Amino acid sequence: MIYLQNVTIKRGSKIVFYNWSAKIENSKITIISGKNGAGKSTLLRTIAGMIPLEKGKIKNYNNEIFKDQIKWGQNLIYIDSKNGLSKDLTVYENLKTWSEMRGWNTSDNDLQKALDSVEMLNHKNLYVSQCSEGLKKRAALSRLYLSLLFDVEFWLLDEPTNELDQKSIILFNKLIQRFLENKGTVLLACHELKLFDLNYELLNLDLLKK
Amino acid sequence: MSLQSSFIQIFISHIKREFLINFRSLVDVISIISFMILIVILFVLGIGPFEEKLRLVSNAIFWIGLILAIIPSLEKTLQRDYDNGWLDQTITSPTPMEIILLSKSLAYWLIVIIPLIISLPLFIVLLDINLKLIPWLLISILVGGLSISLIGIIGSALTLGAKRGNILLPILIIPLIIPILIFGVGVSEAVRINESPVGNLFLLIGFTLIYLVISPFISAFLIRIAISR
Repeated sequence: MIYLQNVTIKRGSKIVFYNWSAKIENSKITIISGKNGAGKSTLLRTIAGMIPLEKGKIKNYNNEIFKDQIKWGQNLIYIDSKNGLSKDLTVYENLKTWSEMRGWNTSDNDLQKALDSVEMLNHKNLYVSQCSEGLKKRAALSRLYLSLLFDVEFWLLDEPTNELDQKSIILFNKLIQRFLENKGTVLLACHELKLFDLNYELLNLDLLKK
Repeated sequence: MSLQSSFIQIFISHIKREFLINFRSLVDVISIISFMILIVILFVLGIGPFEEKLRLVSNAIFWIGLILAIIPSLEKTLQRDYDNGWLDQTITSPTPMEIILLSKSLAYWLIVIIPLIISLPLFIVLLDINLKLIPWLLISILVGGLSISLIGIIGSALTLGAKRGNILLPILIIPLIIPILIFGVGVSEAVRINESPVGNLFLLIGFTLIYLVISPFISAFLIRIAISR
């Protein structure tokens, strides 16, 4: 359970959230919706620890999450529209260097399975500069499979479905389903709610901020 | 299953990543060296056919050439990873940013230094560098090169997301590089006039160690600011 207690978040000089409280349930999907500029990405980036809080606290149960940034980093995966893929590396190398960067000892087999989970195995030796946006997104989402092996508790995903085709969305839904079975929590910013055939909690920023 | 690797393994694997990226598109590496060769050639042609004149300034030309050639490529070291979101990934990971940045500056140092050492014979011929100077020159560029890349990471972090970063960067980092230039040239100059270069070399090493300690922390701090914007 993540509690946001009286948080004030600023982006530059603009106050995006003022003295705002909310809670995010564990082992569920919470979809953050809201119109453009409502603060979906800002909220996700704040919880991920990239934007410092102006005021207030964010707690995971009773622990303040930013007290121990390393432990919090172990617990979460953050993927946004930038994907974090180097265009000079292949899809496979990107996944490998990413898991090494997190300090995970993944076998070749695990990496292959991760790519297979988003049907990227055929494209594993493709350079990211040659990939389409959809393929890039799928390459980024293959990290989610690896996180299932390493006790990650939170996925923070910023509009992950934008570039995906129908088939990839089904694969993505399957990954989420597996994660929820592992008691994981998904926090997702998204416009199109009907893409998910799972039960979800809705956090509508347009309503809450009034 | 959750076998975590140590910081040293993460450090080494990140150096490997940098090597993979930089040596796959050799453009950056080649441009640094060829730019340096061009600067040196311009100096040599400008001085004209006077061996004595050239000998007096050859060490300084070598160092200035090195610094000027490195500066344009420094901006890209972090900018690329900032643009493609890799820095977002490292900041939301359990690995401290400082380790990533230290490995980045070491990798950058190796990436510049290895081609430089390969092309060293060319500079020796062009600048008419005395053979007894070569071991000292080699040591001083090894140490000084590390300094320059550590300073460069700070500058690169400072100009992240800034418009016109490529103009801002040299203005910010050249003052920090000045001691490296003075003592780097000092090492070779001392050998040239038959004095002991050890004092200058120790000062060069001293400065490098200071930068080695402070650079990862300062740049990590600056990157956090850039990302929070």
